[in-house]
Amino acid sequence: MTLLASFDWHFIWEHIPDFWDGLKATLKVAAIGIAGSLAIGVVLGAARAHRIPVASWLAAIYVEVIRNTPILVQIFFVAGALPHLPGHPIRLEPFTIAWLSVMIWGGAYNTENFRAGFEAVPYRYREAGLALGFSRFKTFLNVTLPIGGRIALPSSINTYISVLKNTSLLTAIGFAELTNTAYSLESVSFKATEVYFALGVTYLLVVWTLSALIRFIEGRLALPEQA
Amino acid sequence: MPDWVDPVAHYMVHEGLKNTVKIAVFAVLGSTLVGIVLGTLMTIRFVPLQALIRLYIEIWRGLPIIVTVFLVYYALPTAPVIHHRFGVITGAVIGLGLWGSAQVAEATRGAVQSIPREQHEAASALGFGWIGRHRSVILPQALRRLLPPLVSLLANVIQNTTIASLIGVPELLATGQRSIERLQFEPGAHSHNFAIYLAIMAAFFCISFPLTRLAIFLERRLV
Repeated sequence: MTLLASFDWHFIWEHIPDFWDGLKATLKVAAIGIAGSLAIGVVLGAARAHRIPVASWLAAIYVEVIRNTPILVQIFFVAGALPHLPGHPIRLEPFTIAWLSVMIWGGAYNTENFRAGFEAVPYRYREAGLALGFSRFKTFLNVTLPIGGRIALPSSINTYISVLKNTSLLTAIGFAELTNTAYSLESVSFKATEVYFALGVTYLLVVWTLSALIRFIEGRLALPEQA
Repeated sequence: MPDWVDPVAHYMVHEGLKNTVKIAVFAVLGSTLVGIVLGTLMTIRFVPLQALIRLYIEIWRGLPIIVTVFLVYYALPTAPVIHHRFGVITGAVIGLGLWGSAQVAEATRGAVQSIPREQHEAASALGFGWIGRHRSVILPQALRRLLPPLVSLLANVIQNTTIASLIGVPELLATGQRSIERLQFEPGAHSHNFAIYLAIMAAFFCISFPLTRLAIFLERRLV
C-alpha cells in the first residue's frame, strides 16, 4: 500500500490541462504530418511504380536517405543545420520544423508502401483501362490508385502511427508537444514517476485508440477478396 | 582538409561511434533473447499467458521509444519501492531493449506459427517434449524466417540509439553536437553546423544502408 500512497495522484489530476495542451500540439503536428506523408506517398509511389524517368530516381534517393538515417538527426538537421546552410541559410518557425520533419520522414516510408501497393496491381487491369481509351493518368486515377491504394493501406497505417509517435522526438528541439510538456513539468516539480507514468498512459491511449479506429476504417475499405 | 576536422572525427569515432555500437549491440542481443522466449511462449494455448505477453508487446510497441527511455531513466529512481537509478548507457539499453523485444516477440510468434503442424506432430511422435521439440525442431526452422526482421531491427536500433543522446550518452549524434558547440569558441571560426550534421547523417547512412540491403537480400533468399 505504500506504493499507492506515495504516488501523487492529485498532482496528475491538477496538471491534466497541461497534458491536454501538449496533446493538442502533438495531434496538430501529427495530423499535418500524416496528411502530407499521404500526399508524398501517393505521388512519389506512383512515380516509382510507373518508373517515370528522373522523378523515379530522385524518389528512390529520397527514400533511401530518409529510411537509413535516424529521424532525430533529420529533425536536428532541419532545425540546426539548414539555418547555417552555406550561402543560403534557411530559417523556419518551430511549428514548421515540427510538421515538416515528421512529414518528410513519413513521406519516405509511405512512398515505399504505395510503390509496393501500385506494383501489386495486376498489369492486365491497367491494360484494360488503356484499352478502354483512358489516358495513362486517368488509368492511374481510376484503376491503379483505388486498387493499389487499398493494397498499401495496412502498411501505410503503420507509418501514420509511427509519424504520431515520432512527434515525441520534437521535444529534443524544445517544441512544446506532449513529451516536452511532461519534461518541463518534471523539471519544475521533480515528480518524475507521476509525470512520466501519466505521459506513458496518454500515449498508449492515443496510439491504441488510433490503431483501433484505423483498423476499423481498414476493414471497411479492404478489397473484397481480402476480407 | 581544414585543421578542425581531424580532432572532431577522432572524438566522434572513438567516443561517439563506440557508444552507439555498444548500446546497439547490447540492446539487440537482449531484445533477441527476450523476444524469442516471449514469442515462443505466446504460441502456447493458455489464455492468461497469451494475454500477459500481448499486453507487454502492445505497451512497448505503442510507446514512443523516447518515452520508454525517460520512464526507465527518470521515472524509476523516484518510483515508490524501486528507487534505482541506472547509468545512462544501461538506461538506454533497457529502453531500446524493451521496444526491440516487443518487436522480436511479435515476429517470433508469426515465425513459429508459420511452421507446419506436421513438424510439431512428427517431433512429438519421436518422443520430444515441449522444450526439446521447440529447441531442436521448431525454432531452428523459425529462426531462418526470423533472420531478415532481426537484421532490420539491428538497423533500426542503431538509428534509435540517437535517442540516448537525450539522456546524456555521448553517442554519435551527441559527440557531433558537442563538437559544434566547442568549435564555436575557437577564434575566428565560422559555424560548422551544416558540415557536422551532414557528416552524422552520412555516418548513419553508411552503417544502415548495407544492413537494410542485407535484410532485403536475406528475405528473398530465405523465405
